Amino acid sequence: MEYMTSLFSVALLASAIRVTMPILLASLGAVHAERGGVVNIGLEGIMIMGTFFGAVGAYAFDTRFPSLAQTWPNLAPLAGVLAAVAAGLLFGLIHALVTITFRVDQIISGVALNLLAGGLARFLNILLFEKATQSPGVRGFTPIDIPLLRDLPALRPLVTGVSPMIITGVVLVAVSQWVLRRTRFGLRLRAVGEYPLAADTLGVNVYHLRYAGVLLSGALAGMAGAYLAIEQARLYFEGMTQGRGFIALAAMIFGNWWPVGALGASALFGYFDALSLRVVRLPVPYQFINVLPHIVTILVLAGFVRRARMPAADGVPYTKEEE
Amino acid sequence: MKHRLLVLQMATPVLAILFGMLSASVIILAIGRNPLDVYAVMVRFNLTRTDSLFSILFKTTPLIFAGLAVALSFRVSLFNIGVEGQYYIGAFCAALVGFSLRGLPAVLHLPLALLAAAGGAMVWALVPIVLKLRRGAHEVITTIMMNYIASALLLYLINDVFRDPTQIGTPRVRTPLVAAAARVPSLGPLLAPLGLHGSDVEKLNLLLPVGIVIAVILAYFLSRTRFGYEVRAVAFNPLAAEAAGIPNARVQFGMFMLSAGIAGLVGLNDILGFFGYLDIDFPKGLGFLGISVALLAKNNPLGVIPAALLFGFLDRGAAGVQFFARVPKEIIVILQALIILAIVVAYELLTRYVRTQRKREAELPVTATPAAEATGR
Repeated sequence: MEYMTSLFSVALLASAIRVTMPILLASLGAVHAERGGVVNIGLEGIMIMGTFFGAVGAYAFDTRFPSLAQTWPNLAPLAGVLAAVAAGLLFGLIHALVTITFRVDQIISGVALNLLAGGLARFLNILLFEKATQSPGVRGFTPIDIPLLRDLPALRPLVTGVSPMIITGVVLVAVSQWVLRRTRFGLRLRAVGEYPLAADTLGVNVYHLRYAGVLLSGALAGMAGAYLAIEQARLYFEGMTQGRGFIALAAMIFGNWWPVGALGASALFGYFDALSLRVVRLPVPYQFINVLPHIVTILVLAGFVRRARMPAADGVPYTKEEE
Repeated sequence: MKHRLLVLQMATPVLAILFGMLSASVIILAIGRNPLDVYAVMVRFNLTRTDSLFSILFKTTPLIFAGLAVALSFRVSLFNIGVEGQYYIGAFCAALVGFSLRGLPAVLHLPLALLAAAGGAMVWALVPIVLKLRRGAHEVITTIMMNYIASALLLYLINDVFRDPTQIGTPRVRTPLVAAAARVPSLGPLLAPLGLHGSDVEKLNLLLPVGIVIAVILAYFLSRTRFGYEVRAVAFNPLAAEAAGIPNARVQFGMFMLSAGIAGLVGLNDILGFFGYLDIDFPKGLGFLGISVALLAKNNPLGVIPAALLFGFLDRGAAGVQFFARVPKEIIVILQALIILAIVVAYELLTRYVRTQRKREAELPVTATPAAEATGR
């Protein structure tokens, strides 16, 4: 019994929420790209760029504008997030250009982006900090307590000292869900991912919408990286994404290509992650807990858990010319 | 038209490599260096030293296997991103056979280790391919997931189950030593009479000629045999192939298994050819480089050899660039990524160009006189 409660302790849940965030943000990105019909395997690389530029942005702001950073302590991490989002947008733009304009295989472009990001992060880190694998420490956002909820003693560890980025992430889930379900942009994006020819016939610009979806995925994956570097580790180090970009794809699939579903899946994967990080006495080696998300994803894809329903034109380049 | 097309096809990879070098030059310029100097240092370092030449060949060996493995899956419209995980499993199976069996003669032990590597990788690849053919699970995502599972499994097996007991208490986490009979023979003794010595010469092993032979066999197999014909039919028009009685699923399954079997051998150049044990820090990422090699080779088994050589060349050049031009060696990884992006875009543009040319030709009036053709109209 005591063992069971240790699996659901409030501290464990709080830690699960923290490790859920980077998966969730990248997963939201994946949802936008794939709803528009573009698979973005490059999310892992974009997250790497996000971790690096997140740390660099925050560090640079702190050293360049020390007085401003003193007065408003949230400005430096904000600069980091913006730098990470910009880097994510740039990588998203490359992916969009290569896959939408040039109609190259989306998987290949993603693989190349992952390779590029790994090399670029090491290269730039050497140039800026004279070593390959680590940046100097950075400061994070000032944590906040959620009003009202913080007065409930049972929830205190969950709702006090929360990163503003966690709240942003949760808000983004709601906004994305609403945008995809209810707005003109969302409906068109989905149309373009389901049946681009029909959307095109009705005068929807397939290329523009797909660009928008991929750029959004870049921005969100960049932000996911920034969260890891700024809020979680408070520095950049090589390999810190640990394949979370791929886990995010898995969360998107498990979440059936919807933001709310991605939240649920990310939370589950984050829980596994937190479990393997804590020294809870587990009956199985931690390596097996680590791969639970991967196993679940395979089962979902194979339809053993429930049928995966991906956008019909997902991964298929669109061309107006007749072949 | 035919000749021009051939020239274009040959020129495309060259142009893509040049484009990649040009883009990397921008980065080199941005850090205040002369790109021409940097490239010159790389070429000089690579081509004027014996140790460099042999190091390039050593680095080329696993890339041939990895490139072939990826290319074979591409040939039947499957994308085996799982080469990475498959060679982890292959390396482990080979090491297991290598260190657990003792007293076997080399003629038996080494082939057994190679078979274990190929077989282990094939079993590992059964999951994605069966789920793909039977249940429609996309092989790209499932193989990526299998890579992570393979990596975690290896971590567990090396660290917790088969760790060399004599190394406990040291930071070295690795399996016991592989028996000498299971090691891949070095080409050093063959090269010594030619006056070639040194550790880089010793590293070169029998797997390099084996890889080249496999590439040649596969090239023959794919272009001259009945199965090769079926493979082309399935890739070109799956519906027509099916209608003609060629079982798509069986051809895809066979090629995926072949791909995985070759993938299983990728790690052996290092494990059985050099280290003699499987360390937790064994070389990783070769499966992903294999994707680049296959793309550059346009999935042609013979093309894989020069493509792997190029990547081996770049890999070795990275050390020279870092040491002699004092540019971080990661510039080469960036260059490799840029080359891939350039090459896929270039091939795509070429395909489009060919298509429009064909269309234009088809639209030409059939009454064109021989005289008009002779003037090149």
